[in-house]
Order: sequence, then C-alpha cells, then structure tokens
Amino acid sequence: MKRIILLALLLIAADAHADLYWGGFLQGLYGGRLHEINPTETEYTASETRLQLRMEHFGDRGEMFGRLDFTYDGASDPEYDWELREAYVKFRLGSRFDFKIGRQILTWGTGDLVFINDVFAKDYKSFFVGRDDQYLKAPQDAIRMEFYSGIGSFTIVWTPKFAPNRLPGGERLSFYNPMVGAIVGTDGAMQPQRPESRFKNSEIATRFSRRIGNFTSALYFYRGFYKNPEGFDMSTGSPIYPRLHVYGASVRGPIAGGILWLEGGYFDSQDDKCGEDPFIPNSSISGLFGFERQVATNLTANIQWQVDYMTDYDVYEMQQMAGGGYVRDEVYHLLTSRVTKKLMDELLTLSGFVFYSPSDEDGYARGSVEYKYTDEIILAAGANIFGGDYEAGDFGQFKLNDNVWVKVTYGF
Amino acid sequence: MRQLTRFFVIALIGLSFLSNGVLAQDANEIMKKSHLSYFYAGDDGKSEVTMRLINSKGKERVREFTMLRLDKEDGGDQMYYTYFFKPSDVARMTFMVHKQADGNDLRWIYVPAVDLIKPISADDKNSSFVGSDFTYEDVSGRHYNEDDHKFVEESTLGDRAVYVIESTPKDEGYDGFARKLSYIDKENMLPLKEEYFNSKDELERVFLAEKVETIDDIPTVTVRSMENVKKGQKTIVEFNSIEYGVGVGEDIFTERYLKNPPRQFIR
Repeated sequence: MKRIILLALLLIAADAHADLYWGGFLQGLYGGRLHEINPTETEYTASETRLQLRMEHFGDRGEMFGRLDFTYDGASDPEYDWELREAYVKFRLGSRFDFKIGRQILTWGTGDLVFINDVFAKDYKSFFVGRDDQYLKAPQDAIRMEFYSGIGSFTIVWTPKFAPNRLPGGERLSFYNPMVGAIVGTDGAMQPQRPESRFKNSEIATRFSRRIGNFTSALYFYRGFYKNPEGFDMSTGSPIYPRLHVYGASVRGPIAGGILWLEGGYFDSQDDKCGEDPFIPNSSISGLFGFERQVATNLTANIQWQVDYMTDYDVYEMQQMAGGGYVRDEVYHLLTSRVTKKLMDELLTLSGFVFYSPSDEDGYARGSVEYKYTDEIILAAGANIFGGDYEAGDFGQFKLNDNVWVKVTYGF
Repeated sequence: MRQLTRFFVIALIGLSFLSNGVLAQDANEIMKKSHLSYFYAGDDGKSEVTMRLINSKGKERVREFTMLRLDKEDGGDQMYYTYFFKPSDVARMTFMVHKQADGNDLRWIYVPAVDLIKPISADDKNSSFVGSDFTYEDVSGRHYNEDDHKFVEESTLGDRAVYVIESTPKDEGYDGFARKLSYIDKENMLPLKEEYFNSKDELERVFLAEKVETIDDIPTVTVRSMENVKKGQKTIVEFNSIEYGVGVGEDIFTERYLKNPPRQFIR
C-alpha cells in the first residue's frame, strides 16, 4: 500500500501544473462532567488543544491530500499526541474510473447519525464529548475505486486491515461491561481482540448507485466484521469482532417540500447463523425511515424511525434469561430528531439532536450553540446528556458521562 | 359636432387602452429579455467570486468561491456548481443546484471532512445564500412569469437610459417582496437597479449593478451589490474573472464531481 502511494505521489509531483493549498485550525476544547461520582474518576471529559494542518496538492494527473492533527491534553497519557487523519492520492484512469488510495474518511448511506449500510469506522469517543462533526468518522486505510457508466456508478472499498469503531473504553467515558454486568470505568477496560492481519480478514464494502428521476437509489454489500466488539471468545476471555455480511438498499430524494430517505439492511452474522451461540450476535434486519424539511425560515427539522428485528429471538431470550443478562426486545425501535436554527444571518447556529428508544427506554440528547465571531474565529458550546433505566441499554450505559463543553476555533 | 366630439372621446379612450395594452406586453418582453441577459448569458459560464458581507457596524466578512453554470435551456432548467475557498470553516466544500424552471430546485452540499453528500430541502427560496443579503432566488433567478409586470416610464440612471418596470408577485402567499421596481438598461437589457418593497410598502432591499463590462461580447455585471436597507447591511459581489463558453459538460453537475471538483475549472 505504501509503495503504491509513493509511486502515485512521485507521478503527481512530477506534474508541471501543480497547485498547493494549505490550511488548518487551532482549537481548544474543554468539557466538564455533570456527574461527580463516576467510575472513571475523572473530572473533565475533554481538555485538549488541537492543531490541524491540511495540505492539498493537485495537478492534471491527480491530487494528493493530507490532514494531520497535533494534540496537547494535560490529563492524557501521553500529553502530546498526533494523528494522521487523512493521507491519500486521487486520480482518474480513462474517463470512467476514479481512485482514492490511502488513509481516508468514508461515508455513504442515507441516515442522519443512524448507520445501516455505512459500514465505515465511527469514533464515538469524540462524538460524545463535543469534538467537531468530522471526528465522528474515524479514518480507514483503504483503496476506493469508482466506476461510472450510463446505468449507474459502482464503488468498491477495500480495507486490508480491519478498522473497528472507537468506543468509550473507560479512560474518560464509562460504559457497560456485560461480563461484569455493570457500568465500569478504567478498571473494567477491556481489550477487544482484533482479527489477525490477513487477506481474508480484510473488509470489502461495495455500493451500486443510480439516479431514478429525482431520487438516488443504491444497493450495498459488505463483507467484514461487526464494527463493535459484539462477540466474546470464551477461550481467550476477550471481546471479539464477529464476521459479518451486510446486504442493503436505500433510496433518497425530494418529496412534499422536503427530503425523504428509506434504508434497509440484513445483518448476516457469519459466525452464528442459527443464533445458537450466546456469545455471538444473532443476524438481524434493520429498516430506517427519515424525513427532513425546512419548517420556517432558517429552521430545519428532521425525524427518523429505525426498526431492528432480531432473528432467532427465542434462542437469544432463553440464553439471556438463563445467564441473568439484559434481554432486549425482539423488535428494537429508535426515534431520532434533529432541529437546526440559524440566526443573525447564519452567524449563530443552534442545533439539537435527540435519540430515543421506546423499546430500551433510553435516550441521548446532544445540543450546541455555535457563533461565528469572525471569519476566522468560531465560538461554540454544547452538552451531551444520556438517560435510561437499564445500564445495558445502548444509550443508558453512558448515563454517567453527561457533560457540557466549550470550544474555541481559529481557522486559517 | 357632438357626434364628432363623441367619436374623438371614444377614439381617445380606445387609444389609451390600446397603448396601455401595448406597453404591458412590452413590460413582459422587457423583463423576459432582462432575465435572459442577466441569468442566461452565454450557454455556460465560470466565475471566480469574492463576496463581501458588511454588517451595520461596518464589520466585513469575506467569502471566496468559484461558480460554474450550465444552461440546459434559455429561460429554463439550469445547473450550478460552487466550490468554496474561504472562509476556513467552509473551505473545500462544494454545493450544487439543479434549477428546475417548473418546480422546486434540487440542492446538495458535500462536506469533504466527513465525505458526506447531503441533499438540502429547498423549499424556501427566500433563505439567504451563504449568509449574505442575496437569497437563493436572487442567485439563480426568479422567473419572469412569476410576477405581473407594469411599464412605469422611461428614465435615466446615471448616464444610462433605462426602462422602469414595476412587478408584483402573482402568488399572494409569496413573502419575498410585495412590489419590485426594476431599472432595466435600454441598450443591453441588464437590470441596473432593483428596489424591493415589503407588504407595508417600505423599501427593504436595493440591488445595484455597480459595474458593467463586456466580456466575450456579452454585457456582464461584474460588480453587484445587495443592500438590506432595513438592517443597514450590504453584500458586495465581485466577479474576479468571468468566462463564457468554457465547455462545462452536463456530467460535471453530478455526485461524481460534487466529491471531486473539476480541476480544469477550479484551482
């Protein structure tokens, strides 16, 4: 992979008509908890200064892009850290093939913060503490190829080394450990076991997309693993990422003065097709309906309803009850809504997003106020509130992580 | 004698009706020609734009973007593609509009930091374009058929001879403006000034063509401004470079290029 990037870089650098663009930002983010007593024994959910440098280089044959973050966090170990967020080359072969090779952020699917066919790594640690939206997605080292034709476009993303989601692991954000049966912090940290780095353990995500009138429709197929460590290996005593195939479809387009989207997917749990293994998730079918509309001038709102049906539920129910574990409903429901209001000629943005599950009886609300003080300086503040009756619920498990945050960004 | 007088009176009344009718048609024709010369100049266009937003206290914000336009049909469907350079928080974002003359526009935005393509519900054409005093309707054009036009007079604006046309929206539910006065250049049919009045007949916004140049034999407004008189703020748009007939293909206005800006036009 590195050799390919190097070769492509040399080819692009040799280009006479090359342009170079720089940019970035300097940002301070500070978040305080609302629950003094919590298993992580930390006071702040975020206390970082971040410098992001962005470089773009393009010529007639292709482009190169890099995004590098440097962070300083007094409460972290190590205090100084860096992350190469993106580093890729883009080029075209002929008129129909587009390539993007290297470390990149990938997104597809139609949901708003609800993911069915978006099988690319998410970073919930960043999401829950007030980092910019761009940090919800974690980068993947991948080769992306797109083929365009009259009938539609076909995309294939090959990620040789499995990229899991980044989840709260107890250092600053507590979570539910099913093995312990409670919300834990630093002490309960688990190290999930990743699949060995072998070719057959690579991820392949494909999508076929086509415009039908004003609507965009797509078919998806994914071969890889569950992105969360939803399985458990008794022999090693650690959580694992079970094998997964996802077959899905989506459609999205304008209707009734707004945008409508529908998405569905079948999660085929490869390591437990009959649902008999209590330590591997059962296969499930997921469906999503969403609608967004401008409600008034500068006020936009959307609603979503996701339904998740677990197959072989009776087996699951029996196993969970026998083990004394949390038993979710056969059909899981999730309702979400986002409201965005812009004021002062779009200088001030108020935004709120709510997740609520009537079946798990838990939820999560996130809100923010953002003010563009000047073209360079943006001031923001927000909150993340979790609630739920059951500690094992998807959102309920984070209920001791409630926080408020402030952020100042200087962009250049 | 009385019959002659009656005949003259009837003839005069008839003539006045006739002339008003002729002028009303002229008003429509003038507005149509103006619409085409301003929004549909050339078959396609590329412009590098600097937009300055000045608030009531004189504080200035700057937006820089490059815009590509393709006319599918003069006076009909059009496609727009915008790539933002500044400010920093919108840099590298792309924005695309498929303007459908018969219905609502289709709009999309692409956020490269998250690789996200988002369709935008485009119901409100009166919402501001990137926070400026220009609305989406100002940028992509309000169809001349949506208003009733009345010829007011011939006049001069500075050193240019102009037609003054008054327009009122046909749709009573429309809240963009209640009445509009357009000052159309007699020679090149470009709108040199537009005054927008609200339902209380207060002057709300003033559009000015601050500079008109001829590019590729096409008269073009290269500096334009929109002042919101009520709020005391102004947006000035400078076209640093305008080119017509650059050969923008229809394929540019697709998801493929939303994610991969066409570098032959955008640097």
